[in-house]
Amino acid sequence: MIKGATDMLPLSLAVLPWGVLFGSLAIQRGFSWIEGQLFSAVIFAGAVQIVTIELMAENTRYITILFMALVISSRHFLYGLTLREKLSKQSLKWRIGLGFLLTDELFSLSGHRKSYASKYRLYYALGAGGSFYLAWNIWTAIGIIAGVSLPDLTNLGLDFAVAATFIALVIPEIRTVPVLVCVLVSAISSLLFSFYGFELSLVAAASVGMLCGYGVQRVRS
Amino acid sequence: MNITLVTILLLASITFMTRYLFLEEKLPLRLGPNISQLLSFSGPAVLTAIFIPILFFNNNEIDISVSNAYLWGGVGSIITAYKTKNIYWTIGFGGIVFIGVSSYF
Repeated sequence: MIKGATDMLPLSLAVLPWGVLFGSLAIQRGFSWIEGQLFSAVIFAGAVQIVTIELMAENTRYITILFMALVISSRHFLYGLTLREKLSKQSLKWRIGLGFLLTDELFSLSGHRKSYASKYRLYYALGAGGSFYLAWNIWTAIGIIAGVSLPDLTNLGLDFAVAATFIALVIPEIRTVPVLVCVLVSAISSLLFSFYGFELSLVAAASVGMLCGYGVQRVRS
Repeated sequence: MNITLVTILLLASITFMTRYLFLEEKLPLRLGPNISQLLSFSGPAVLTAIFIPILFFNNNEIDISVSNAYLWGGVGSIITAYKTKNIYWTIGFGGIVFIGVSSYF
C-alpha cells in the first residue's frame, strides 16, 4: 500500500494546480464550500468537474451537462475493458472500491503484467488510488479556502505539469515498434480531432492509435 | 434535496458507471485474445491523446510557434523521459524549460 502511494506521489502533486483551480472555481461560480468539496468527494474526475461546474453556473440544460460528463468520462470504458480480465475476478468489494478510484492516474500505474492479480497488487492499487483520492480532495479544499482571493488560474500554464507527467509515463513504455506506431498515430489523430473540435476526440484518437499499433503487431508476427 | 445536489449525485453515477461497467463479472462479455492484445495498447494511446492537446492547444486554438512554451517544455520532457526514464527528472527538467521559455517570451 505504501509503495502504491509513493509511486502515485508525483502524479498526486502534478494535479495540485487542477485541484486548487477546481476548488476556487466552485466558490467563484457561486457554489457553497460543501457543494464544491462534494464534487471532488463523489465525482472524483478532474475534467468532468471543471467542465460541468462551468456549465451548471451558466444554467446550461440539464441533459447537456449529463451528456458532456458522459462524453468526457467515456475513456474510462477503455480502462474498464483493459482491466476486465484481471479485476472482474476479484470480489465485489475490490471491484467497487478500485472501480471508484479508477482515474487516468491509477490506470497509468496499472500496466504491470501482474497488476491486480495478487493481494499485494490489489493493496498496491488501493494505496495508489486512495492516496490520489485524498490528495485530490485536499487540493480542492485548499482551492475552496483560497476561493475568491485567487486570480483566474486557467491561463497560468499550470496544466503543463499534467502533460509532463503523462510524457514521463508514456515514453518509457515505447519499447517496441507497434507501441511507437500506436503513440505516433494517437498523437497525430488527437491533434486532427481536437483541431476540428470533435467532442469525442480523446477516445477516438486513442482508438485509432490502438488499432494501428495492433495492426503493425499482427503484420510483424 | 436541492437541484445542485441532485446534479452532483447524477454526475457521480455517470463517472462511476463508466469506470465500473466493464469490471462487472456478470456482464455477458468475453474478451478474446485479439481484443486483449488490442487493449494492451490502450495505456500509451489514451495518455498520448491526453497530453498532446495540452501541448499544442491554448484556449482551444492550435499554437505551433516558437513562442509556445508548452511545445519546448514537451520536447524537454520527452528527451529527459527517454534518457532517464525517471518521472521526477522528466517533470523537473521539462518544467524548467517550460518556465524558461514562458518568461523569455
